[in-house]
Amino acid sequence: MERNQMRRQLALMRQSFFDQGFLDEQFIQLEELQDDANPNFVEEVVTLYYRDSSRLILNIDQALERNPLDFNKLDNYMHQFKGSSTSIGAKKVKAECTQFREYCKAGNSEGCMRTFQQLKKEYAILKRKLEAYFQQARQAGPLETACRSRN
Amino acid sequence: MGAEVDHVSLMGMSGGSAEGNDRSEGQRFSCKNKLTALVVDNGAVCRAIQTALLRSYGVETEAVETGEAAVQLIASGATFNLIIIEMLLPVLNGPETARQIRAMGAQSKILGISAFFDERHQQEFLAAGADRFIEKPLSPEIVIPIIWELDN
Repeated sequence: MERNQMRRQLALMRQSFFDQGFLDEQFIQLEELQDDANPNFVEEVVTLYYRDSSRLILNIDQALERNPLDFNKLDNYMHQFKGSSTSIGAKKVKAECTQFREYCKAGNSEGCMRTFQQLKKEYAILKRKLEAYFQQARQAGPLETACRSRN
Repeated sequence: MGAEVDHVSLMGMSGGSAEGNDRSEGQRFSCKNKLTALVVDNGAVCRAIQTALLRSYGVETEAVETGEAAVQLIASGATFNLIIIEMLLPVLNGPETARQIRAMGAQSKILGISAFFDERHQQEFLAAGADRFIEKPLSPEIVIPIIWELDN
């Protein structure tokens, strides 16, 4: 496929992430931190996010199997999850984290479990989208972008 | 939009509806003096992003994973203009870390930060000597005025 066409498709893909509410402006902040010194910053941070979060998800899954639930522990796990999700701009995931925490505070086990299933879904969807995006970006090749000037 | 486009996304398109016109003149804000910062966060993602953000403004930034490490660093003589501390650190939590840092006489600007805004946590942090408490993410809107203030 012709390069320019690839890049157009990529730009559309990217825009759809924002339009459909998967990502928010925090993701743009990450993009703006990418430059010659850090040419793969966004992909690196996102990769780090998925690596870190997979561990958290495992911990939360295990914690949700306990009876009764340790809401304090769950809250702490969710705290870290929300922190990193917020930081990469994962809008839908972040919303589920907030919802989860509300159920924690209310001591609502069923709510927690339901929300966590939803959270994992959103998380997986975003992961697939971003993986596809970065893969296509690599195929499209680097653009001669106007790098932000540094003083 | 030509080559002088102010902020450029990964694929060369102007970034969506980003607020914060710190780059509206086509240049990224950068501090004049040598400023230093310390990021204290047990999450690798947050550490990486906060560090990169501060460095992008010319602030020499270090990051540690724990409150204990932060305290040790400062006890060994390191000084920082700005210290950003996550609330829920294991062992030595955010406010306790801030308290110990203040107890050593550090004059740094201390920012407590957390994934969720919680008035209780805010009070804890401020009582421990932090200057401010904010909810993540650490954004340019928050950080640029602080850097500017420290710079002048």
